[in-house]
Amino acid sequence: MSTTEKKPKIKQKPARIIRNNLAVIAKVARLTPGYIIAMVLEGVVYGALNACETVFMFRLFNALDENPSFELVATIILTLAAFYLIARVYTNWYWHYYHAAIQRKLIYKMHRELFEKARQMDLACYDDPVFYNDFVWAMDQSHSRAVSVIEDVGKIINRLVASGTIFSVLFTVDIPMALILLVCCVSTIVLRQYMNKVSFRHREETQSMHRHKNYINRLYYLSDYAKELRISQVDSNLMDAYWRNMNGIVDTDLRYGKIYFLWNDVVAGIVDNLTYYGILVYMVLQLAHGNVLIGGLAAAVNAVWSCRWLLSDLISRFTKFPEHSLYIEKYLTFLSHKPTIVSGEGEVEELEELVLENVGFTYPSSEKKEEGKEESKEKTQEQAKEAPKASLTNVSLTIKRGEKVAFVGYNGAGKTTLTKLLMRLYDPSEGRILYNGRDLRDLSLEQLRSHIGAVFQDYRLFGATVAENVLGDVYDGSPEQEAAVKAALHAATFDEKLEHLPDGIHTLLTREFDDKGVNLSGGESQKVAIARCFAHPYELMILDEPSSALDPLAEYELNHAILQKADEKTVIFISHRLSTTRMADRIYMFENGSIIESGSHEELMEQNGKYAEMFRLQAEKYQTKG
Amino acid sequence: MKKKKTEEKENKKEKKPKLPLGKVLSDNLFVLKIVHRAAPWYMPTYFGWSVFGSIINFLSGSYLLRLVINKMQDPDALISVLLYIGVIFSLNVVYRLVIGWINNKLYPRYNIKIVGEFQQMLFDKARRVELACYEDPAFYDKYVKVMDTAYNRSMNVIYALDRLIWNGVSFFANAALLYIIDPWFIVFGLFPLLLGLLNKTSNKLGHKLRTDATPCDRKEAYVRRAFYMADYAKEMRLSNISRPIFGLQKKAMEDHIALLRAYRWKQVPIRYALEIGLEVVTILGSMLYAAWRTLVDTTAPMLIGDCIVVFNSVSMIAWTLNDLIANLAEFHANALYIEDFRYFLDYEPKIAQNEDGRTARGGTLECRNVSFGYKDAPEQALSDVSFTIRPGEKIALVGCNGSGKTTLVKLLLHLYEPTKGQILLNGIDAGEYSLDSWRAQFGVVFQDLKTFSMSVAENVLMRPLREGDEERVVEALKQSGGWDKVASLPGGIHTTLTREFDDKGVVLSGGESQKIALARIFADPSPIVILDEPSSALDPIAEYTMFNNMLRACEGRTLVFISHRLSSAVLADRVILLDGGRICEMGSHEELMKANGPYAEMFRKQAENYVDTTEQKEVNV
Repeated sequence: MSTTEKKPKIKQKPARIIRNNLAVIAKVARLTPGYIIAMVLEGVVYGALNACETVFMFRLFNALDENPSFELVATIILTLAAFYLIARVYTNWYWHYYHAAIQRKLIYKMHRELFEKARQMDLACYDDPVFYNDFVWAMDQSHSRAVSVIEDVGKIINRLVASGTIFSVLFTVDIPMALILLVCCVSTIVLRQYMNKVSFRHREETQSMHRHKNYINRLYYLSDYAKELRISQVDSNLMDAYWRNMNGIVDTDLRYGKIYFLWNDVVAGIVDNLTYYGILVYMVLQLAHGNVLIGGLAAAVNAVWSCRWLLSDLISRFTKFPEHSLYIEKYLTFLSHKPTIVSGEGEVEELEELVLENVGFTYPSSEKKEEGKEESKEKTQEQAKEAPKASLTNVSLTIKRGEKVAFVGYNGAGKTTLTKLLMRLYDPSEGRILYNGRDLRDLSLEQLRSHIGAVFQDYRLFGATVAENVLGDVYDGSPEQEAAVKAALHAATFDEKLEHLPDGIHTLLTREFDDKGVNLSGGESQKVAIARCFAHPYELMILDEPSSALDPLAEYELNHAILQKADEKTVIFISHRLSTTRMADRIYMFENGSIIESGSHEELMEQNGKYAEMFRLQAEKYQTKG
Repeated sequence: MKKKKTEEKENKKEKKPKLPLGKVLSDNLFVLKIVHRAAPWYMPTYFGWSVFGSIINFLSGSYLLRLVINKMQDPDALISVLLYIGVIFSLNVVYRLVIGWINNKLYPRYNIKIVGEFQQMLFDKARRVELACYEDPAFYDKYVKVMDTAYNRSMNVIYALDRLIWNGVSFFANAALLYIIDPWFIVFGLFPLLLGLLNKTSNKLGHKLRTDATPCDRKEAYVRRAFYMADYAKEMRLSNISRPIFGLQKKAMEDHIALLRAYRWKQVPIRYALEIGLEVVTILGSMLYAAWRTLVDTTAPMLIGDCIVVFNSVSMIAWTLNDLIANLAEFHANALYIEDFRYFLDYEPKIAQNEDGRTARGGTLECRNVSFGYKDAPEQALSDVSFTIRPGEKIALVGCNGSGKTTLVKLLLHLYEPTKGQILLNGIDAGEYSLDSWRAQFGVVFQDLKTFSMSVAENVLMRPLREGDEERVVEALKQSGGWDKVASLPGGIHTTLTREFDDKGVVLSGGESQKIALARIFADPSPIVILDEPSSALDPIAEYTMFNNMLRACEGRTLVFISHRLSSAVLADRVILLDGGRICEMGSHEELMKANGPYAEMFRKQAENYVDTTEQKEVNV
């Protein structure tokens, strides 16, 4: 999943920009109030430090011009020294200690809030690419965005203090000079703004070419692609694309180079130098006429550079706020997102009966209203063409306690979708699901899910120990629990691998943050996942193609193990391999989201319908034995 | 004695590699030579203008101010002062224009040449490095770093050299000026150099902090991913695993702050001393001395213009000196990267390209006593494997997961070199053939196949499209069963896969990608076809049709298919059963069933459910 994204181009109203930025400042103030206070203070202190060079020069050289006593000059110098000694204590503490630590805290607190929210988010949100992109962004970037808002505010305070001080000194020196400088600064800023826009366009034009180029670069070292690259001639395609993009970038650079040259070098070069040397000449003349002292000249010359820099930085900080606002909005939208799957009140008792009444379901593609209206317009039109197809239509069935049920059918027939509805990862679009006669929507979500154990097709292990992966957070290391974990792993036929693990059930899985961690193969991970079902007192087990990553022998053992251990539990098997599901009490054959046949294996074979046909096709290859 | 010991300990801990000066020089020169080769005019223009620029910078800074103020004491000098200002003004304008022209008109052209030179060197090498290198983490780390940063790092050599020139010129010019005024000022300027030592400890602390904090960063990144990746979403909702994960996050934050506390408290005083040393001792100190010389020292009073210059120039030399230290360190740091770069370029792939070797054109493929072990793996992946495959034979390679099937395929493709034994074609060792022609005789679909972000046609052909290729692509897709899908795409076979670089691109499902990959085999009539579990993502009917199709389509070609489902083995002329890296049985399905060995046992277990019913059915019928 690429987190790189195109910069959104949406015009925002100033009120919206201010509101969003203030919201994030308020959030930081609530989470880490110290940060805001320290930042404001830093802006003031640092601004004063920035200004004092000019102010000091002015005072000192003016004094020198009038042949003062050494004591007076020494006092000026020592006062400044004292100011430095004190101010630097604060700036050092802030930048080299406090800043990093408070950021950590802020990041932690913001993330905690986001993660809690993410866990409640509807699974459907993952299928909505626009929402999902924003969500990933919020996870990855919102904290750094919040930090930059705060930093920018700090810097703005700093620049205002510094340039304010310098200008007020300059106005006391010579008013026309100060005015000229101010005008020149403003013109530089205007030019800079224009150039920023140009270079933004430039970046946008080359962005996808750069991304493409980097993608190709990556292909040459990612091990996933290593084999294909070696045994085919695809190399030449990639090189073609690489150079096409490189040449494209150079052409664009040259095209924009003309504009840059004209404005940045010809126009700005002349304006910059004219300002500087013009003011120098003016001050020299003033000095010759005795209108100013040497300190004034020195201060003016010094101020030309620092003021231009300070002011243009000030402006460029301000221009970042609209961009901040766009991103902050994504963050706020995510935080205010209301999950549609909300918990009911009802207590969940032991499962007696699960009834599906005319259940229909369509995956929500992006019919949802989007916040960024402009950009989503095209997309919705595009999506309207491929009208969403119902994944399930009119499914009715009853599962009784202790039953072993199999959902079979081809890929995409709706088997997995149905189990997701049972776990309330989605809510049905039509019909209803009744748990002991009560609608799932009326039951407590947490309780409901604690009754269901599931092994998904795409099962993921977490970067924790084997035991924690099996038992979750209830694992406390007591001998009883240890025994329970081992028993569950045994039931899932994981013993053999377990013996080879360096720390037994305390072995850390995945190498995410420990190089000694163990990476399990697909089949092995699935066994750990199955063990999780056995370790908990789940009443309903949903096994979504649990044996797909296993080799034949292991599959054989595992199927037997599951059936043996699960004798009282209600089990739903999903598979497209009919040999695995043959022993189920009842088999539901799915096609295009509907149940087309149901019954025991024998009954279905006798009916001689689709199920029988599929079974025979699969069995055909084994029949030659006889 | 004690001191020595602790020193030794520290040295051991700090395993920062130190390069000898000669190496640093040769590495930096190595890069300069490449740049020079690619664009001979790049460096002369670049460095020429930096010398010019730094001189102008000096003349229009300290020097100008001193001249103006000192001369202004004499009212008649006004004209010459204005004249001088005029000259400096025009020099500055010219400099800006020329540098702008160079940057915007000349360098984009030079840059593409330089990038091209670097990338060509890297890509050529990257493609030839053998697969085993990917499994050697030390090598792989270097490899990735080199591929990602070689160009930027190399250009840093140019920038560092540029900075050196700039710093050097302005240091000497300002020092000379101060020397003329009063040599003592140079001493003030040199003072921060003494503080350089402090800087070193501070940098070391910073480096250590970063290394120590890496585990915290990794934990935080992991927690974040666990919460946003769709892969984890279902487990997050159904289990209580989120609580230990929150714990992990909290701990990471606390550890990180504890580390910051431990290291930063040491760093703060050092940084403070450095800043105060420069701002108070050097600059204000020299000002105090200058004021004394001007006001009190009556033997040879200083002019006010000199006094102002002191303020500027002392800070300039202090600053450039400080920067020079960092600048020189840069050459060393760059050399470390260039070392990796050169190591990578000099690396001779163990599997030689052998361009002058024989040309392979299919035939009898033979493995003779082949053994192979992955690097650092305690067990052999394959031991003493021998078999012969005649042209046109259909072979099923079966066995449990981890029995060595995929490894064997990789050896056949000469992606790895066998540790022992030989792989032969028509009785001649694989090493004697040119590598390209050897690999060209195989058409392969891997288990973890990948499609590229290119058009469907290119993904099928895996080479640039030539005239008349379109029909071939369509035909190949029809045979692999992927045509229905491709035909429905808006751009047909010219549709780009993935939306990464093309908004009109399509994202294919696993099964559809597999069909594209299968079509590669039909588009390219290679004599030997290898299918590594191609059916794992397909449903039973699709699997059945695919195998039938494959058998028919590969008529006359050698076909090796790998599976852990024995049902497919029935179709093969010969079955090779691997177990623990050894061939445990070999023969046709019938022979092996008759032999009643491990194969027969496995087959029966898998067939158990199916066979029961067929027997029943037979009874019924």
